[in-house]
Amino acid sequence: MMALIISIGAAAVVYAVSILYAAIGEIFSQRAGIMNLGIEGIMLMGAVSGFLTVYHTNSLALAMLAVICTGAILGLVFAFLTVTLQSDQTVCGMAFLIFGSGLSGFIGKKVTGIATAVKFHDISIPLLHKIPVIGKIFFQQDLLVYCMYIIIPLSIFYIYKTRPGLILRALGENPAALDTAGIHVFALRYAYVIFGCAMIAISGACITLSYTNFWNEGMTGGKGWIAFSLVAFSRWNPGFAALGALLFGGISILGINLQIYLPGIPTQFYSMLPYAATVVALIITTGSFRKQHTAEPAALCQKYDREGR
Amino acid sequence: MKKKLISILLVVAMAAMLLTGCSGNSGNQTKDTAKAKLDYSNIKIGEITSLVVNDGGWCQATHQSLLAAMKELGIPEENLKVIENVAEDQVSVTNAYNALASEGVNLIVGASAGYATFLSELAGKNSNIIVAQQGDQVPNLIGYQIRNYEGMFLAGYACALMSPTDTLGFAASMSEASVRGAINGYALGAKYANPNAKVKLVWANSWYDVDIETQSAKTLINQGIKYMGMEASSPAIPQTCQENGAYCIGYNVDMKDLAPKAVLFSYMWNFAPIYKDIITSVVEGKADTSKYYYEGGECANISAFNEAIVPKDVQDKVLQVKADLASGKIKVFGGELKDNKGNILVPAGQTMSDDKINTQQFLVENVIGSF
Repeated sequence: MMALIISIGAAAVVYAVSILYAAIGEIFSQRAGIMNLGIEGIMLMGAVSGFLTVYHTNSLALAMLAVICTGAILGLVFAFLTVTLQSDQTVCGMAFLIFGSGLSGFIGKKVTGIATAVKFHDISIPLLHKIPVIGKIFFQQDLLVYCMYIIIPLSIFYIYKTRPGLILRALGENPAALDTAGIHVFALRYAYVIFGCAMIAISGACITLSYTNFWNEGMTGGKGWIAFSLVAFSRWNPGFAALGALLFGGISILGINLQIYLPGIPTQFYSMLPYAATVVALIITTGSFRKQHTAEPAALCQKYDREGR
Repeated sequence: MKKKLISILLVVAMAAMLLTGCSGNSGNQTKDTAKAKLDYSNIKIGEITSLVVNDGGWCQATHQSLLAAMKELGIPEENLKVIENVAEDQVSVTNAYNALASEGVNLIVGASAGYATFLSELAGKNSNIIVAQQGDQVPNLIGYQIRNYEGMFLAGYACALMSPTDTLGFAASMSEASVRGAINGYALGAKYANPNAKVKLVWANSWYDVDIETQSAKTLINQGIKYMGMEASSPAIPQTCQENGAYCIGYNVDMKDLAPKAVLFSYMWNFAPIYKDIITSVVEGKADTSKYYYEGGECANISAFNEAIVPKDVQDKVLQVKADLASGKIKVFGGELKDNKGNILVPAGQTMSDDKINTQQFLVENVIGSF
């Protein structure tokens, strides 16, 4: 039984991390007032660029560099469209979704279904991995998971406890006020959108460089949308996003195990569980019956034009 | 104003010329195609696939089979026009069909059962293009299906011979008749090797989901299962087996290179003999759109054994069973056969009809699971 709990827990952590990079990237982007609906497309571009690099060079370091650069370039284009040209963010996001899905399939066509020799392997953290249950769940993971353990507290600290974090929150609430204070709204929005897209691309790389060691078209399988829904669920807080991702990952994995332990129930019911949990969680965290403010940045999705003030 | 008027007139004139040119070409092409006698050098074949043709799974198996049939008949590879990533909806299928029709194809092969309804409608309106479609028998289309349970019987048999325990695993995708056929074939093969063999079943409820397939394999491995069968499209299950010291039978295509320490051998769809027959009938002008192929034997093929992990005596026994299946000595769905609810499906001494096999709605006695 304990082995089962460890296995479900460890798998839930891996699943959670693969969507958390994207969710945290999107939190930063939305906190800056820019909504990016193209997460799935950018994840796929990250996944294929990382896979192609590792396929040709056998270097995970170069692959991660390629992933980050791919995300950053896409972020730059997205920022140009939404910040400089002030195009509709929803339309641009959908365009990126389709563009990324199509282009990744095109450039990865020749390496579809081929396995690479190199991928991120699990590393046991000395001493910590010996802690009963928790050690095996949290400290026998790969490098991308360990990086996330640092990114979560760091991003919470940055957003809520630092001056740049305060500016970031203001950027999504009232960019005009920041502009008046002499802070360059456009440059900051560019920076956060580029950072967000780089993080989203890493999420894609988790799938081709850590979760598996092959590429196939559309293999993110809707994870981008789960990451997107996590942002609202988490109330734009990376800590809650981590909890939500673990919840979603845990329920997904639990469903498969329940097929063995409760075989009488139709398996479609188990497949439905994570989505039902997401709907319930979204209602609880964002429903209008709540007295608390939903935490959605007030200027999210709104064009900012200096001349228009 | 004058300049504007001239520009507009020029644009209109150019568009008219372009359209005239297009229609002229198309007319000539149609005439030429009609005049030319169809033979193996000039037959044009269209293929519509739901993913890319090198997806490492179903589409690759279909594409490779088609190329093999063409090669055998001496048809140049360039005579095959492929449209990939065609969604299973009316607009996408109609669009692909029209594009292939404009290329002058004589035969269209639909590589996904989801195309059947739309292709049936289109084929009914145009008898010049023969359409062949995998899946159930549908009006206006040459239908085909493979007795995958035969290959899966060998898979279950090999796993049961090698497994140190009586319990095997099976990771399945979506619940439909051919998938249930694969599970049942696997379980019956296992029972043939070991009368006490049981098969624990997990469903992904998806045709392609790397996460869920990985978890399916891990779930079975956590149950202490070392040998499993699969009916899933990605290499996630073999790779998960390899990472956890378990073994499996590959699916769709030969998966040995993807997980050389885990794949004993692979079940491979081989549509080539069916395609060869269909192409020949089209070339000879004898294509019958009411024909339905339901083939086993070499169509339900297995790859070469992974010599490093499959002992020679197991290889010999599997090949013997393969021969017995081909000769009819072993009837996979022969009686007495019970489902896992205790109902008798086939009384002793009888064999299940092809209709019932092809549309099966049961899991056999030694499967632990439901659908």
